[in-house]
Amino acid sequence: MKIVHMADSHLGFSAYGRVDRWGRNLREEMVYQGFSKTVDKIIDLAPDAVVHAGDVFHHVRPRIRPLYVFQQNLERLVEAGIPVVIISGNHDAPKSYASLSPFTLFEGMEGVHIAHHYRYEPFEVGETTFHTIPFCLGPEDYLEEFRKMQEGRAETSGGKDVLVMHGLVEALWDRRLRTVGEHQLKESFLKSDFSYIALGHYHGQAQVAKNGWYSGSVEYFRFNEAKDEKGFLYVDLDTDPGSVKQIKIQDEYMIDLEPIDCIGLSSREVEGLIGSVCDDLGLKDKIVRLRLSEISREAYRSLSRRLLGELRGEALHIEIIPEFSDEPAPRETEPMESRDLPQEFRKFIEGEAAGEAIPAAIRDGVLAYGTGLLARISEKRATERFDAAQ
Amino acid sequence: MAEMAEMANLSDERWKENRGQQSASPEGLARIGQKPQTITMDESSNPYFRIISKDVREYHFIVPSEEWVELGEIVSIHDRRVERGATFLARITDLRHDSNYDGNWDTVIRGDGFYDSDQIFCRVVAEPLGCMTKEAGGRERFRKSRTIPAKFSPVRKAEKEELRFLGEVMGDIEVGRLRNGSRDVKEIPVALHSDAMDHHMGVFATTGMGKSNFMKVFAASCMRMASSKESKFGLLIVDPHGEYIFGSKGTKGLLHLDRYREGIVCYSTDKRHLKDPSVSNLTVKRSEILPQDIEVLYDWTPAQREALEAVSRVFYGEEWLDDLLTSEGAAKMIAEGFHEKTIGRIGRTIRTILDKNRYISDLTSSIPGMVNNLLAGKVVLVDIPTLGERSELFLLSLLSRSILDRYKKESAEGSRGKSCLITIEEAQRVLGGGEGSLARFESIAREGRKFGVGLCAITQQPKLINKQLLSQFNTFVILGLADRNDRTRLEESAKQDLSTLDVEIQTLEKGEAIVSTLKIPFPVPARVHLYEEYLERLNREGSSGGRGRIGGFSPPPD
Repeated sequence: MKIVHMADSHLGFSAYGRVDRWGRNLREEMVYQGFSKTVDKIIDLAPDAVVHAGDVFHHVRPRIRPLYVFQQNLERLVEAGIPVVIISGNHDAPKSYASLSPFTLFEGMEGVHIAHHYRYEPFEVGETTFHTIPFCLGPEDYLEEFRKMQEGRAETSGGKDVLVMHGLVEALWDRRLRTVGEHQLKESFLKSDFSYIALGHYHGQAQVAKNGWYSGSVEYFRFNEAKDEKGFLYVDLDTDPGSVKQIKIQDEYMIDLEPIDCIGLSSREVEGLIGSVCDDLGLKDKIVRLRLSEISREAYRSLSRRLLGELRGEALHIEIIPEFSDEPAPRETEPMESRDLPQEFRKFIEGEAAGEAIPAAIRDGVLAYGTGLLARISEKRATERFDAAQ
Repeated sequence: MAEMAEMANLSDERWKENRGQQSASPEGLARIGQKPQTITMDESSNPYFRIISKDVREYHFIVPSEEWVELGEIVSIHDRRVERGATFLARITDLRHDSNYDGNWDTVIRGDGFYDSDQIFCRVVAEPLGCMTKEAGGRERFRKSRTIPAKFSPVRKAEKEELRFLGEVMGDIEVGRLRNGSRDVKEIPVALHSDAMDHHMGVFATTGMGKSNFMKVFAASCMRMASSKESKFGLLIVDPHGEYIFGSKGTKGLLHLDRYREGIVCYSTDKRHLKDPSVSNLTVKRSEILPQDIEVLYDWTPAQREALEAVSRVFYGEEWLDDLLTSEGAAKMIAEGFHEKTIGRIGRTIRTILDKNRYISDLTSSIPGMVNNLLAGKVVLVDIPTLGERSELFLLSLLSRSILDRYKKESAEGSRGKSCLITIEEAQRVLGGGEGSLARFESIAREGRKFGVGLCAITQQPKLINKQLLSQFNTFVILGLADRNDRTRLEESAKQDLSTLDVEIQTLEKGEAIVSTLKIPFPVPARVHLYEEYLERLNREGSSGGRGRIGGFSPPPD
């Protein structure tokens, strides 16, 4: 059996404010075109199944256009007789039980299996079982769903087993995207007895176990993905472990250029270097980031607006980032997990109390009230709607 | 055991009645075949339960010969000389038959019996533990005593209120309850200090005395701390017997502690254990193995050792293991002046290691995840029941190096997470000093603490551990040692005086322990929790936390 493993389509993603002649966001259209191109390629390959490992949509309440694009392409796959297995990801799963998932619209389509109910669901396609665990509300829920799956697996035997999940494995945690609902997947989920493990969320193509891969996204979304090859994975489950072929779909349209060293350069000299770099690259339809390292404020202020305007007109998007010689590099700080807030508050109060800023008589009261309040807030945050902004 | 407890309880009743009048309980006397009798005396004339000698290092008092007194019991001595009163605490270290007669009195018939019952007694020898005084403000303070209680100060069994101060000096990792003789003081837990863990810990016991039970209780307490993000150190356990993860022979394992599963990560080579969602497949990347990891494993000749040391010079990068096994690699080594046979032996050994340690992989490694979890203060269990002893040592050595390197690096950068404690089973294999020892562990014992890395050495033969290394250990948990040489080695190396506890250590029963650690003022007798009971208690603790799981989703009606 051969399957296509793809993920993180993020239909509905838009950026940069550039529009086509009909007023549609250019970046958004690019994502739709990339998705259609992917489906074209899949139909050409005619696999036995397609697995989408989460984040079909960029938003939990997608607009009509992404829904329509998705429906059109899904129907094409169904017409081609290719079964589709999809799970919801952190972007397109509602963070509240009260909201309805966009995938509800596609339930019941023949040959389409969608897991979006925050629980483990097995789907059988031919002799292969796809064990799907979609986005769950709490990180601890994955363990429970995984346990259910293992119990189910123990009762069945024979055939191929494919695990489909969405989240970031521990080994890649330092590359987290810091997006809403980003969950860590335990290394212990990567069991070697699966025929294949199809993962989504991480946008690069990466092998994380002998039998486990991230397919990566088809599109470029952030500059740190600029060096990645974008496409999907074509997996032959009849080999052990499944042999994986990377199928490239997109050309490298996102370019993160090496910084230009501007120490002691005048604005004219910097313009010359920018022009030369951009000419060599060819900006048309590209998304480019260029950092001007150690540039003086004076030189940066004097850069030709006309030149910059021309570059911006040619590229889909160009970011020119000055790194001033008199400014320290920005430090990245670790954002606080909301569930750690009560603990953090306790530490803070104990520190303050040690300094006697809080009278001993009310210290316990302050602590109890504050930690209780923060626990309730983080609880709400975990379950109420705090989905990606529209 | 039950009989012992019953007898101890009988004795408790009698101790309470010692207020100027000594009465022997009918049950107690019935046991020793005598008629019950009561001796009425005025308070000042009663010689029993009063300090009669000896010096600042040893107190003596006498008790009626039918009185049940046990080694290890803690007694309190109330001294009224001080204005607010001072209470001395002492631990019984010896018991002797004694009398007011000279010579062979016990075989001479006097009147209608062998002796006068009021002239024979037991002499109790007790070791001073310290003195509790009341300070201004009514607060009690326990300190080492620099004096001796007034002669004839009354002695009684220490009550839980008098031992309560111990609860305040205990640490955060609960392992058992305070024990007074063979009776437990349920109100006072015995808990080790997290802060002392990078100063190394030793767990010493002969087979069957409860080492594994102790380690499971210790690890469970660590899991509890880690789950609430309060842990101050990570704990690495490499388990060659596969008994910690799910237990064995009817015992429970660490993964049965569902309530605090968040506090542990498990890696295993056992397929049965790998079915559990919390258990990861153990893998080590080939590129993580260095020549020195191979070097520690076998008895190499000087030439072979020299060749191994040269490997990192001859081969660049992480591929040395594979490069060395090729004919080109062997030729390179021969070109360096090493004999063909020497290279052949090294190559064969490497092939054997790769063959026996199937967890060695080209692609993934569990080690970075393990170290991250240790730095985060979790318990990391490496379950390798399918591997042999040499493979276990190889893995332990490799892990220890990786941990020490990472901790050194992070310490240098000032960004180190929590300390860690590396557990070594049968530690005499690697901490013996001289031949057979592993320099890596010795260096951790000597300097690991600078970087926050401690050792937890478990052994049944402390006599085989290098004396100087053992003296680096600040926490001893002794669960019973029959061999005199073992006890002597511990007495020589402990930070607290254990010499007076020799007989007690010898007579410790299963599950009983002596815990000696710097932050607790004297070695405390403990009864280690039975893991299965402790597990049940911890699993019942608190609510499940959080919002309560809904378990999937059913869409609301249209």
